[in-house]
Amino acid sequence: MLRRLVFLLLLLPMACIDPYQVEVPDGQQLLTVEGLIHTGPGPHAITLTRSDTYGSVFEGLVRPVTGATVVVRDNEGKIIFLTEGQEARGSYFTPSGFRAEIGKSYTLQIQTADGKVYTSLPERVESVPEIEDISIKTITVPVEGETTPRSGVQLISEINDPADQNNFYFWRLGPITHVLEARPDLFVDRETRTPAPKDCCFICYRTEVTGNQSLFIAVDDNFNGLSTRIPAAFIEDNSLRFVNKLRADLKQYAISQEAYRFLRLVKQQAEISGSIFDPPPATIRGNMISLDNPDEVVLGYFMAAGESTRRIYIDKSDLTFRQIPGTIPDDCRTVFGAVVDPPFDWNP
Amino acid sequence: MKKILLLFLFLMGQGAWAQTTAPTKREVIGRDIGQLKGIKISGRIIDEISGEALVGATVTVPELEITKITDNNGAFELILDRAEYNIQFRYVGYETIDYPITAVGDGRISIRMLQEDFQLDDVVIFGRDPEKNIRSTDMGAITLSMNTMRELPPFLGEVDIVRSLATLPGVSQVGEASSGLNVRGGGVDQNLIQFAGAPIYNPSHMFGLFTAFNADVVNDVTLYKAVVPAKFGGRSSAILDILPKAGSVAKWGGDLMLSNYSGKLSVNGPLIKDKVSILGGFRISYINWFLNSLSNPTVKNSQANFYDGNLVISAPISENNEFTYSYYTSYDDFAFASDTTISWKNTAHSLQWKSRLTAKLSLEALGYYSGYDYGIFNQSGINDFDINSSIQDLGGKLFLGYNFSETNKVVFGGEYKQVAIQPGELIPTGPGEEILPQKVQDEAGREAGVHFQHEFELGEKFGFSYGLRYDTYQYLGPRVVRQYEENKPVSDGSAIGETNYGDGEVIQTYDGLGPRASFRYSFSKSSSIKLGYNKMYQFIHLISNTATIAPTDVWKLSDNFLEPQIADQYSLGFYNNFKGNIFETSIEVYYKDLQNVVEYKDGATLIMQNHLETELIPAEGQAYGVELYVKKNLGRLTGWVSYTYSRSLRRVITPFEEENINDGEWYASNFDKPHDLTLIGNYKVSTNTSISATFAYSTGRPVTFPEAKFDYSGNSLAYFDSRNQQRIPDFHRLDLAVNFKFKGEGRFFDGDWTFSVLNVYGRKNPFSIFFDDAQDSPPQALRLAILGVPLPSLSYAIKF
Repeated sequence: MLRRLVFLLLLLPMACIDPYQVEVPDGQQLLTVEGLIHTGPGPHAITLTRSDTYGSVFEGLVRPVTGATVVVRDNEGKIIFLTEGQEARGSYFTPSGFRAEIGKSYTLQIQTADGKVYTSLPERVESVPEIEDISIKTITVPVEGETTPRSGVQLISEINDPADQNNFYFWRLGPITHVLEARPDLFVDRETRTPAPKDCCFICYRTEVTGNQSLFIAVDDNFNGLSTRIPAAFIEDNSLRFVNKLRADLKQYAISQEAYRFLRLVKQQAEISGSIFDPPPATIRGNMISLDNPDEVVLGYFMAAGESTRRIYIDKSDLTFRQIPGTIPDDCRTVFGAVVDPPFDWNP
Repeated sequence: MKKILLLFLFLMGQGAWAQTTAPTKREVIGRDIGQLKGIKISGRIIDEISGEALVGATVTVPELEITKITDNNGAFELILDRAEYNIQFRYVGYETIDYPITAVGDGRISIRMLQEDFQLDDVVIFGRDPEKNIRSTDMGAITLSMNTMRELPPFLGEVDIVRSLATLPGVSQVGEASSGLNVRGGGVDQNLIQFAGAPIYNPSHMFGLFTAFNADVVNDVTLYKAVVPAKFGGRSSAILDILPKAGSVAKWGGDLMLSNYSGKLSVNGPLIKDKVSILGGFRISYINWFLNSLSNPTVKNSQANFYDGNLVISAPISENNEFTYSYYTSYDDFAFASDTTISWKNTAHSLQWKSRLTAKLSLEALGYYSGYDYGIFNQSGINDFDINSSIQDLGGKLFLGYNFSETNKVVFGGEYKQVAIQPGELIPTGPGEEILPQKVQDEAGREAGVHFQHEFELGEKFGFSYGLRYDTYQYLGPRVVRQYEENKPVSDGSAIGETNYGDGEVIQTYDGLGPRASFRYSFSKSSSIKLGYNKMYQFIHLISNTATIAPTDVWKLSDNFLEPQIADQYSLGFYNNFKGNIFETSIEVYYKDLQNVVEYKDGATLIMQNHLETELIPAEGQAYGVELYVKKNLGRLTGWVSYTYSRSLRRVITPFEEENINDGEWYASNFDKPHDLTLIGNYKVSTNTSISATFAYSTGRPVTFPEAKFDYSGNSLAYFDSRNQQRIPDFHRLDLAVNFKFKGEGRFFDGDWTFSVLNVYGRKNPFSIFFDDAQDSPPQALRLAILGVPLPSLSYAIKF
């Protein structure tokens, strides 16, 4: 909330934020773990990377860690081997059919190709309340120097929070699918620059994975035992998504208190504004440790969580503000990820 | 840099002493009964026009090398031998009077002094007493009169008290647009800011862009940064004592000032002629109007308002008794795109009674109430809520002063106050039951102190001052206090039980003795050396994770987890005045040791936190420095150069390795700026035009740069390890102002136009360097500059 105050200073036509070249220390190559196993259908992914120099521009590339042995072990001693993806190098997937079970604790164990062994602290899977309903709210964000604001749709999860426990929530969005409208009749041949209308195809269905820039988390300290509504995801209007209908799967997870603290630090850093009210940079410590060298810093967090999912179809008429629809003067199938047939379970 | 310094020093030498006074006829004082010694001459100095007593004017008898200061009623007393004397009367902003007399017997002199009113070509920026810096045993006490502050380039069109103080050695600010002061390596919460004796918790408007005190109603400001007199206590670093003006008991008048950001008006005059005066002041910003006139819809829906108001009623009911009531309020609100509003408000009432019981015994009694409230109002449409928070202080002080002689004085007294803090209450305001009301437990405490100070001189050369203050503090119920497992870090996970304390029950008591001592040796009338030591206790802490004061910061009383802050300071200074006090120079060195400074665990949650002990870690602090100061008091060109080399360090060692910060090593505090240089000059071009300039340079403050970057959940993140190991680029800025005084026909035309430009060469001084993975660009370092361009302002002031 306070981060917004800095805008006031910017309004006073004297303040400014601009990129700045600084000498940053040479980065350490630290193992970074990102992974979440849950009670929903798999496969669940654990991704291993190595950190690098925090560059002013493109310096330092975060590289995947390949060829590691990755296992998840539950508190009954059962071991699940994860296999590295053929295309997604550095990502390791649980076998199909694997689901975490409520009440069990899981640890992640990793042996890297150079023989170093790492483990997580145990994470216990908690049950998660259902998403009772999803409501939406149109959000607009003014952009400096532009007359049209950025906009999008906020998904709000309605939940009945259980009163008997302290709940920590985390939301992610599954792949979204939306109707894509194109104008193949406006196609222009690139070489001859003459109109060359195509007959097909006007309507496609496009499925894409939207990364959540901002993290959506909540703790029930101020709504314990109540029916409440919490903002849980945001889908930006890129002028193509909301021209007709859009389908989204909202996934709600019950995470541990430690995992919540970790994500809160991630969120805090991701939303930093440089204003005078920013908290000082915090060390984001996760739950991974090195068994060979206890002083070695391992970044990231391994989570185990209960999951519930709910699907929503959003019609363009549900939005109170939309970007001017973009025009694709071509066959809609030329757009990456677009197909003519709707998904088999498309049921708006 | 060196060249600029030399240029300044050269320019300062140019203004010559040009003050002349016509010789007056020698007056014979007293009835001649042949008395030779011990002739008592008393008198009173008043303003020629308003009839107000001039408090703190100096009366110098050059023949005897004695100087007296007028008291609260403008009165003074001289004991002379039968002889001829050339007495001089001086007061800031007034014409000096040379008054030749022949003293033959006890008698009275009545002096009426005339305001210079800019008829002189010279500007005098003496403090109240030109030799005070040399002669007094006080160390590190700096009084700035409003006249001195007016000689500085204004900030956003007006005199700014906090920014003026930051130009002095040993005093700094975190950056542009940050409120509060860092005095000798101390945090902003370690200064007690009091207005007419009542503590003020948030002295800023618009998040620190403006100081929340209207300069037109302030008489003077004193900052105690080294040896703080024993009568002050409760904060560990410094005391900022702001005293309001009293209105005139003779006639009505006032000040009006309009600038392009704000306007202010003050009116004063006799409520009952010659008996009771009143002064009212009001200042309001029109930034809101400015925001609304912009076309950007978000900006249009944003609002920012502030105002402050003062009322002073002063009743000098007799020569020896005076009552003063002061009321102060400041208010701010700010809303961004009309969904969240933040507002804060200070209120202070104080009533003071000053009395001269006998010629030697004086009494001062003061009672005050001070309140600070803030609110956050969320009207975003989802889970609407209000958060309210407040602090209330109610207290009283009593001082008794006994003067054995002019050079042998005792001050003693006591102080008591109650503090009640409501750290936060969340009230849902939306329809339906979506969020729970929440309340952080209220806090209560009381503080009492008794003090004693003795100041005396042995001959001309030695001066001593020693004092002792005993502070005791109690943390009171009702409260539920948690217990934690021993040998484990204090966290939610290590809580093992709770204890209930009843209303008014004492939960924790702290006390401590705070000795104060200073010693002065004068080599001559114009040079001296001083030594000082003091110890101070602080029982209230600002819980802020930012480098500056935010309106929503929480204040917290010491409890069984959070011990009082303790500061020990040692200082040594050498003072020398040249050329009849035209030049004033000093070198001071200090070392300060701080205990129980508050530091924070990584990513601490501070707002609406019922168990703050789980988020805080005690730290030790250390600060030291050397301060150089050269000031030219008189001439066409006046001003000063101040340079400070200082360090302010912190260290956190806990029994638990994972809680140590920077592996338990010393590290720079957020406001550690080793080199700090300020050059200030005011040049009188002609009788009605002057130019002033301020140049400031300081080392960039510490920041934490990332050790590495890593990816998590689609964000590119920075991994920070050790705190405050790098610095932002150095700060430097030049401000210029031109002031024209018009003497028109009607009195409303006697205006004062000031045109100023801040940041003349448009340096983008970074307030911060931060690291962000913004959308559509690679993760990178970004710079926030608050004053990124030259910023002009124009103001018009009239006196009526």
